[in-house]
Order: sequence, then C-alpha cells, then structure tokens
Amino acid sequence: MSVNANSSQLSEYLERLPGTTFRRLYQQPSTAFAIFRRMLPHLAKTIVMAMLYMPTPFLLSDLEIWVKPTAKRQKDQALSILRALHIIAVTVPCRETPQSMTLTANFKSSLRFALEGGGDHNSFGVPSQLPIAADVDIAFLDKYARKKWDDILHFVVNSVGLIDSRSDGSNGPKASVKDLLMAGRLVERKGASSTMNITQAGFTFLLQEANSQVWTLLLLWLEAADHANKEGHHTGMESVDMLSFLFLLASLELGRAYSTDALTEPRRNMIPYLVDFGLIYIPHHDRRQYFPTRLATTLTSSESSLRSVSAGFTAASEGMGGAQDSNAIILETNFRMYGYTSSPLQIAVLALFCDLKMRFQELVSGKLTRQSVRRAVDMGITADQIISYLATHAHEQMHRVAASAKKSLLPTVIVDQIRLWQLDTERMATTNGFLFKEFDDYKEYISVVTFADEIGVLQWRNDRKGMFFITYAGLSQVKDFVKNKNKEKKAGK
Amino acid sequence: MNAIDGSSHVEVNATGQTPSLLTIVIDTNPRGWAALKDTLPFSKAIANILVFINAHLAFGNDNQVAVLAAHSNKAVWLYPKSPHSDREPNGSTDGDVEMKDVDDDKDRGNANKYPQFSAIESSILSSLQSLIKSTLPSTLPPTTLIAGALSQSLSHIHKTSLSFAPPKASTDPAAPSTAVTLTPSQPTLHARILIVSVSDSEPSQYIPTMNAVFAASHARIPIDTLSLSQHCSPTFLQQAAVITGGVFLSAALNPRGLLTYLMFGLLADAEARNSVTLPTQDSVDFRAACFCHRKVVDTGFVCSICLSIFCEVPQGAECLTCGTKLALGSYGANPAVVPRKKKKRKKALNGVMDRDASGSAAGTPVPG
Repeated sequence: MSVNANSSQLSEYLERLPGTTFRRLYQQPSTAFAIFRRMLPHLAKTIVMAMLYMPTPFLLSDLEIWVKPTAKRQKDQALSILRALHIIAVTVPCRETPQSMTLTANFKSSLRFALEGGGDHNSFGVPSQLPIAADVDIAFLDKYARKKWDDILHFVVNSVGLIDSRSDGSNGPKASVKDLLMAGRLVERKGASSTMNITQAGFTFLLQEANSQVWTLLLLWLEAADHANKEGHHTGMESVDMLSFLFLLASLELGRAYSTDALTEPRRNMIPYLVDFGLIYIPHHDRRQYFPTRLATTLTSSESSLRSVSAGFTAASEGMGGAQDSNAIILETNFRMYGYTSSPLQIAVLALFCDLKMRFQELVSGKLTRQSVRRAVDMGITADQIISYLATHAHEQMHRVAASAKKSLLPTVIVDQIRLWQLDTERMATTNGFLFKEFDDYKEYISVVTFADEIGVLQWRNDRKGMFFITYAGLSQVKDFVKNKNKEKKAGK
Repeated sequence: MNAIDGSSHVEVNATGQTPSLLTIVIDTNPRGWAALKDTLPFSKAIANILVFINAHLAFGNDNQVAVLAAHSNKAVWLYPKSPHSDREPNGSTDGDVEMKDVDDDKDRGNANKYPQFSAIESSILSSLQSLIKSTLPSTLPPTTLIAGALSQSLSHIHKTSLSFAPPKASTDPAAPSTAVTLTPSQPTLHARILIVSVSDSEPSQYIPTMNAVFAASHARIPIDTLSLSQHCSPTFLQQAAVITGGVFLSAALNPRGLLTYLMFGLLADAEARNSVTLPTQDSVDFRAACFCHRKVVDTGFVCSICLSIFCEVPQGAECLTCGTKLALGSYGANPAVVPRKKKKRKKALNGVMDRDASGSAAGTPVPG
C-alpha cells in the first residue's frame, strides 16, 4: 500500500484533529488534493474517484459487489482511513433505507476544483509578476535548501560528538529551530552542563529520509504553535491554517517566484519560520516574492517518486539529491555496504552503525560488523532504525532488482543478522545472587539444589561440577535449609 | 531469543505504489463527432477527458499520461508533443518519435490550477486546434486509423518502461555465474491504453489492428475501449479488450455521462483491478475480416498452412499470404443424394472450412 512509514506520522497527527478542523482544511482545493494524493491507499483513491462525479450516494451494498471478495481487507482498511480523515460520511444503519456513503461536501467540491481547475481560491499559489533575479535558479534553490537543512541535521549529529563541528562559517540553525528540536526531545540538555545530547527520538529523526525529516520537524512546529495558542500566547498562527499553507507549498512549482502580497497576514507570519527550515527562499533585495525549494515542493510526493528515474536524474544533475535523497546505499549479502555520497553528514550517519573502511570521491565503502552494530545499539539506536534507514536509502539498482526478482529489498540474511546482533546485547541478563559450591558429597548437593529449585530461586546449576547459583532473595531460605541439614547431620552422628 | 528462528524472516520491501502510465487514444474522426454533436459536443468530451486525465495523475505524482489523436488519415501526438510538431507531422510513418515535456510557459500563471495539469491541458488543446485546422473537409475518409495510434502508443509505452526496467544482468563474459536471470515477473510500470472511440472498425485495418493487439497482449498491456457512438460498434476493439484483458464499455445509450463512465469504469489501474470487479461484456463480436477484400465475414475459407482468412476462394486456389496451393476438394459442387457405395470410399480432403459446421471436415461427395 502506498501508506508508508513517513506518512504515518502525518496521518497520526491528522487523525487526532476534530471533524470541524477537517471541514476547514478541505475548503482549500490544494489541501484536499494533497491529502488525497499523499494519505490514501490505492483502493481508497479509486473509490473516491468513482464517487466524485456520482450524482447519488454510493450504496454500501453496491460497493460490496464492486470490490472483489478477495480484497475485503483492503476495502475495510480504505473505508476506515476515509472515515478517519472525514472524506466520506456513511449513513447510520437503519431498517428503511440501505446504508450508503457520500463524500463530504467540502472535500468533494475542493477535489473537483483541483481536478477541473475552476473557482477562485488561489490555492495553488499566486505567481509573482515581478522580475526574477537571474541567479535564483533551481540549482541555487537546491543549494540553499541543502545548506539550511544540513545545518539542522549537523546540529543534531554534533550532539552525538562523532564528528567535529565544522568551521565553515555556518552558525547552525536559528535559535527558534534549536528550541523546536529541544521541545521535540530530539536533543536534550543533560544535567547542568550545556552540552547537547541526542535522544533516541533524535536517532530516529536522523535515520529517516529527508522528506519524513521535514515532516517530523513541521509537525513539531505545528504542535508547538498549538501549545503556545493554548497557553494564551498570541502567535498569530493557527495550526489548521499552517497545515493548509504547507499543503499549498507542496503544490507549487520549483523554480518559480510566488507573490507574498497575495498571502494572508497569518501566512506571512509563517514565512520567517519556513525560511529558517529551508522550505522557502526570499531574495534579500525583494521581499515581495518567495521561492519554494525542493524540500517544500516534494512534501506530498510519494516515496517512490522521489526515487523515480526522472526525479533522480534531475536531482543528481542539480546537486540537491547529493545530500539528501540520492545517498544511495548498496548492501550486499556479504555484509559489505557501499554508500554513494560525499556529504560529511551522511557519512557521519553511516558511521553510526557501519564500519567504514574506504572513502573515495563520491563513495564510501564499509562493512556491517557485529561490533559496529553493537556500538550503535549501545548508543540507543535500534536494529529496526538501522534497517529502515538502509531500506529508505537503498540504491535504485536494489529497488529494481528487488522489484523484478520479487525478492525483499534488503538481503534477508543481513536483516536477520542485524536483529540477532541487537538481541546479542540482550543475551546476557545479570542477576545478583550467590554461588554455592564445594559440597561435601554429591548427595548433599542434590538435596540442596532440589530445594532451591522447588522454591524457585535457582538460576543456574551444573551437576557435574557440583555448583549452583541462586538469586539474592533466595539466600536466607537456602541458608536455613543447609543449616538444618547440617544440624540433622550432626545430630545423626 | 526464541523470537528468532529460521522460519520468521523479516522482509523489507519497497513501499510506494508502482507508477502507472495511461495512454489515451482519442478517436477524432470528424464524422463520428458530428453524429454526436447533439448529445455530446467534442469540446465537452475533451473537457471530460481532461478531468479524467487529471484524476489519473492525481493518484500519485509519478503517474504519467500520454495522449494521441487517431484521426481519419493519421495518428497525431497530443501529449507529450512530438518534437517535429512544427513541421507537418506525417503520422504513423514518422520514424522515431522523440518525447519531451512541453516547455511552453503560457497559461502557467493560473493560481487556481495545479501547474502540471495546466501544462498538459494547454498542450493537448493547442495540438488539437492545429489538428482541426489542418483537416480539410474535402478529403475525409469515413474511418479512423486506430492501428497507427495503437502502435505509436505501444512504442511509447515500451520506451517509457525501459527507463523503469531492472538493470541488465552482468555482461562480463569472464564471470557468467554472476549473471542472474531476471524474470520480469512483476512489472515496474503499469501501462494501459484507453481508446475513446466514435467510429466503426474499418475492416481494412484488421491486420494492423490485430498485430498491435497481440503485441499489447504479449506485453501485458490491457486495451480499454469506451465506445460513444450509437450506430457503430468497434468490433476489433471489442476483441482487443477480450484478448488483452481490458474493459470494453459502451456509453452509446447515454454519451453525456462520459465522465462517470470514465471515472467509475475506466480509472482503475492494474493495481486497483486486482481488487475491483470490472465491467464485462455479455457478447463479443469475434468476427474477423478477410485478407483478400477486407470484408468482415461470418463464414470464410482458412488456409490450412498459415491460417489466413478469405471470403471467397482465392484465384487459382493459391493462398494469397503464403502461396500454398490449396486443395479445395469438392467445394462448390451441388449436393445430391447418392446411393451409398459400400466398396469405395473417398478420402476427405481438407481445405474447406465452414464455421457453422466445422465438425464435418469431409467434402460433399461428388455425384456419380
């Protein structure tokens, strides 16, 4: 299904919103369009499209006939997502009329507008009529977005202490972004010292692909704005409007200038933040126009399209992908890993869990070893995170081979081994307790060890060596037992 | 520890949907549309088709679309535009059709429209206009060249799917063992063809159409057809739908509902078709056209060597396709009641086929 890992964050956020919020969200055609495209599984899209121009409500019994019985599970899943996102309304079951469903009015009209291109909603961005500076081209925007985003990532990675903070003149992200990262507990200040430490959530963030990283940060931002509004601070921003604006940005065209004059006041307030994130660029000489960057325009793209041939080609030739998406990794069944990247940031991330051996112009090669994975696990990275990172950054070749040979994307042997290595760390369970040894004879040993076993304090035994180990709590009981035994023995003598 | 054993492997599969390429062939036969102008004017139909195209593209931004016009005398690319569009495009005889995205910048400044949609729309509309302008009322054959459009769309699909294809296996002759044989069991691109038809199937197009249809069936590309015309039935396209596993819908009863037909019946792509019941046809016209006079025949002659179909006995009883001298047996003789002869029996001769009575292979006995 097209619902993938990174859209699940967004869908979790969306599903928490009340129905009235959705009604307002769907007033804007670009939002309805983006949610349709990004959030729905394939069958749900087909159902929505079938209902879009249907004059009458769609009977559930008809849907039952239309969808094959083998796909009942997908159908139920699709319907539940459609209901959670308030895209369809299902009538209450009653005896007289059969149950039917309709698209909610706002969503229906907005999606129709998006497809037909009618109306006067300006939700696909008002292009700026002003002359555009010649140096602002797609390559420039990519470079700009990449620098902004890398700054944020560097800030997070630096808190690991694996790579030295580079002295290339960048001061890291703005304070507001830092606050956001801390509020989202991606990094935290430990103790009295002012050093930043990365949290496990921070690792999850680092190991995501760029698109979901952007969403993670944006959702943090939305939540922060919600929080501030609740506490009575007037931020002038509202999360519903913010979300609509983000969806609008996603439908803009890369490399075009859009007019800030056409934006509403709250949306203009959002622009400085978006500039900090690197989602949009505003030329210094002219603040009346803004350019969306690739980070913004790919917000609602599906994962595979970021990887698709044309996108990959343009990204490669224009430099942006070099940092983010085209950090292509080839993983062989012999645990060797080749990463096509030259960005120090990505290399640092790879070094978190991989034993890097060689570095070339645009390639690093290394090996996944037990040691390297253990080191990562010790830092708080889970095996699942490593695997999902490798999967999201898999090279185009890996995808093609997997798709045509119907095999899993990553070699199964590696995936299993990474999990096993993680379990390795959990193999040793420590128990405080006492070791009993050097019994006088075997009979005595057996009687004591049987007693310990019966009362359930025995942890380990070795009959041949005549030793056993009990937990701390069981000591007094076993001690008493041995004492009584000795007494009996003496009395017997 | 017990959680992991040899049986529970964790498969990491690529997520995301397979891109889908929709090729639409619009039958732009002026006569066909003229017959429909009271119920469904051409402009309205194009508007509906544009919405349908947008709906297809809305499914995911790696979905692609290609639009062709099958005109009465040529097949023309509407989107993506042919790079030779400035000179007179010569239809199907045009050799290598290079595709590239339109780069005209006009009509992009609309804030109420998704940029990609308006780009496609303007391309289609401008190509259609130039096509209509170049059509002269004097030279109008009553038919449509579907076959040319079909083969052009097949080549386009092939070209596009190549860019999605898995990499070639190692060609290093020194290490042939590394060459993994990749069976394309799962396509990396779902392609299909939709024909919006308003005219009858032209019998003279039978062979090229069927060649294209079998090529499509081989490449597992379904050919869907939406027939709008009330008076004609595109026989060959019906067969195409059956052969390639596509959908044949006739909107003849209510052409105004074109968009609903498209959105409900024909939007589902290969992925959705696994889970959705498709409209089916109750009766399919399987008639073929003969090779000699291009007539649709119910009963005909079939060459026993190459299976060519003839509506009448070819000259000199020689197959026009493979040149085999056919023994006609006693075809054409008047039937007569003969007393049964017990001693001699004539051997049956082949060469005559009757569709209705194909069970009796023997010719009628000659009297005397």
